[in-house]
Amino acid sequence: MKRTLAWFTVLLLVLQCPGLDLAWLLSWPTLGLVLFSSLKLLEARQPADHRLVALLQLLAVGLLAAQMPGLLASCLQLFTALFALAALLAQELGGVLRWRRLLLRSAQLMAAALPLAVVLFLFLPRIGPLWTTDLGSGQRAATGLSPDLDPLGIAELVRTDAPAARVSFSGALPLDPYWRVLVHDRFDGRRWLRAPVAQRRQLLTPAVVSDTTQWWSLEPARGRSVPWDGASLPASADLQIQPDGELTLWQPPSQPRTLRLQLSSAPLAWQQQAPTGRELQLPRRSQLPRLDDLAVQWAALPSDVDRLEAAEAWFRSQPFRYSLAPGDLREVGLDGFLFDQQVGFCGHYASGFTALMRAAGVPARVVSGYQGGRSVQPLGGSPYLEIRQSDAHAWSEVWLAGEGWRRVDPTAWIGGGSAAAREAALGRGVGRARRGGWRWRQWQWWGLDLAWTRWWLSFDQTTQAAWLEQLLGSSPSWIGLLVLAGGASALALGLRVMRWSGVAGPIERTLRLLETLHVTPRPGESFAALCHRAASAHIDLAVSLEAVADAHQQLAHAPLSRRERQHQHRRRQRALRQLARSVSDFGSGPAARR
Amino acid sequence: MHSVEPPLVRRPCSTQLRLGLRNIYIVPTRFGLLWLAGVALLQLVAIQTRSNGTLLLGFLLLGLMLLAMHLTHDNLNGLQLVCDQPGPGFASQSVGYPLRLQSRMARQRLRLQLKGGEPLVLESLAAGETSVVLPWRPLRRGRQRPGRLHIETIAPLGLFVCWSRWEPAREQLIIPARRPGPVADRQPQSRQDGMEEWQDLKPHRPGERMALVDWPSLAKGRPLQSKQFSEPEERQHQLRPAPGLAFETALEHLADRVWRLHQRGETYGLDLPGRSLPPQRGLRHRDACLEALALA
Repeated sequence: MKRTLAWFTVLLLVLQCPGLDLAWLLSWPTLGLVLFSSLKLLEARQPADHRLVALLQLLAVGLLAAQMPGLLASCLQLFTALFALAALLAQELGGVLRWRRLLLRSAQLMAAALPLAVVLFLFLPRIGPLWTTDLGSGQRAATGLSPDLDPLGIAELVRTDAPAARVSFSGALPLDPYWRVLVHDRFDGRRWLRAPVAQRRQLLTPAVVSDTTQWWSLEPARGRSVPWDGASLPASADLQIQPDGELTLWQPPSQPRTLRLQLSSAPLAWQQQAPTGRELQLPRRSQLPRLDDLAVQWAALPSDVDRLEAAEAWFRSQPFRYSLAPGDLREVGLDGFLFDQQVGFCGHYASGFTALMRAAGVPARVVSGYQGGRSVQPLGGSPYLEIRQSDAHAWSEVWLAGEGWRRVDPTAWIGGGSAAAREAALGRGVGRARRGGWRWRQWQWWGLDLAWTRWWLSFDQTTQAAWLEQLLGSSPSWIGLLVLAGGASALALGLRVMRWSGVAGPIERTLRLLETLHVTPRPGESFAALCHRAASAHIDLAVSLEAVADAHQQLAHAPLSRRERQHQHRRRQRALRQLARSVSDFGSGPAARR
Repeated sequence: MHSVEPPLVRRPCSTQLRLGLRNIYIVPTRFGLLWLAGVALLQLVAIQTRSNGTLLLGFLLLGLMLLAMHLTHDNLNGLQLVCDQPGPGFASQSVGYPLRLQSRMARQRLRLQLKGGEPLVLESLAAGETSVVLPWRPLRRGRQRPGRLHIETIAPLGLFVCWSRWEPAREQLIIPARRPGPVADRQPQSRQDGMEEWQDLKPHRPGERMALVDWPSLAKGRPLQSKQFSEPEERQHQLRPAPGLAFETALEHLADRVWRLHQRGETYGLDLPGRSLPPQRGLRHRDACLEALALA
């Protein structure tokens, strides 16, 4: 039985292993622990070996929890820990208890240890990472935006419908928002490339978060850049705003993760970050002659805003058409798209517009990210915005002197380029009808998951610091005393739970009750005889005492069916409760009774 | 499980002992220390990855350890050990020493061990009184105390070992080890009458064995008569320690001889310095002889 429990734990652990991302360095020790504990279990003979296996399994659970904080994974981890603890208990109690009782005892132990753990969890001040290591290589490909934007090379854009992110807001959901992820500022005539982002590692101490306004729950992605609205401040230390307006994590979110943003009252620095000259760079003139000819006319206009308006007017006047299958345009190039074919999707328009602006002397760059998202109202929870890979979008940013970087979406200028029209082009209505039930369930689950995330992951170092400051005010030195006192009382509570629930069986409880009535068993006296004697001495308790005795005799000696057994169990419990009540009445007013 | 023996602790020596705060010791086991190291590892991982789950699990394991300390202590606390009246046993053999364990509540696995004996593991101890017999191996004869009793438990999690030591005060009679060897045996001369010879005839009474009926005399017309046999005089042994041997060795040989003579149902007596037992038979006589040997 000890082995069965341990093997079941192994099964639960193995079940979680596929969720691990091997690109993260921590996943290898985790896999190693799972493997080693299983091998150890194979050859375990002594109780000491089994105990070691249980400890290794608990450690593996801890490492898994560090990598998979989601709702489902957390539930699995809880069960795994429960089974591992039960297997450990089986070493000492296995000869006595069946495995259902073992699991129950294991849950009892956990519940008893929980108050102390919660006190430490809440009050013990946390420290940041002791050192920073790049735990992920970031080489693994996952769905997400591409760092190289090459619309001309895509004959037909197959849009995957995989989930990208969920975001919930403390306020109302924004209308038609743009979520920027990547900034492409290098242009080679066909493709838009990203400048390599400097790996700057400084430990930012984020401002104490008073009001988190956005909760992001991200699916794994291969880049370090994460979606954001460009106007919020990161609320955790491993997020950083790059000078070009990308929000980057220290390491790629190779497993689902969560981040928090808070609204900034002042405009952020990146919006005023002057162009470096890279934003004007264009390939040689001969490569795009017609584009250059058009842009030169606009370059003569007095201000950047005029040039922008001229471009908008030109785009609106041309018979551009939105299509996800524009065909391969590598032969004809950007000139061919802008002046001959005039059919394409957002990448084409952003690419063409940005190149035009650069040729006209306005610093411009392409930004890719997501646009919009669906608002989901789960049954029990706050609404959230669901963003899928099919919401990926590309637009432009132009530098206007005196204003900073302004977002321009050329796709919106063309016929059928609006978000609603693009929805129709994707044929989303059909998909929803077909997979409605499944999608609905997924939405509900994500709603739960997001609620869990908001609740569970929100309590980090900064939140705790703010909370403690609020609690203790100006005297933070009391924290030690608080932790000690809280821990001691939590431990006492846990012990009380264990002593109350654990060992006392019905006989012991009856004996204890009878002792308060000064009835103690005589040598050789059976339990039933004792109860009869007590009943004749205390006639007011006779009914419940006789019931306890009779039920006990039935359970001990009579051949009962399963249902009868359960009935007798319940009967004994009821009688015991009644007896306890009567005895406490008796204890509180003995003078009145006598 | 190895526990530290406190060098300068006065062990209680009494016929009964109630385990309590003054005589229970508790330290973490090696597994407990490993568990702590595991907690430290989880804390490190939690700090590095800022994972709430890992942090909580680490604290939970720590809480379990603190809880286990009290639970393990509870498992011994309040247990009452009472000496029972031990029966005699032979030296150099496993001898049972009876104890009664009195507990007001059910207890988990306990391990009891007398010094030099096999450990006795109780998987669980029900509330009330339980009798156990602890084996030990006495080396010397006489009235002996079994020495130190070690009682320990690591239940429920094996993180702490909690133990107590006690010297049960009640003495057990230890007979010299049975070792075959020479014994001085004085046999008094006696008549060697055969079993077949009968001495007399007496009137047959109904119910007597028909085999005893003297059929020839019946044939001669006499009334039914039974043969009466005389009990043949038995071999009688009067044992003494063999001369020329060490006294203890001689006693061991005597113990063996007494044992075997009793098993053969023979009559024997014992002459010891300062004590003499006349030839006799029976369990009580055997025990008296063995006790005399033990206390000689």
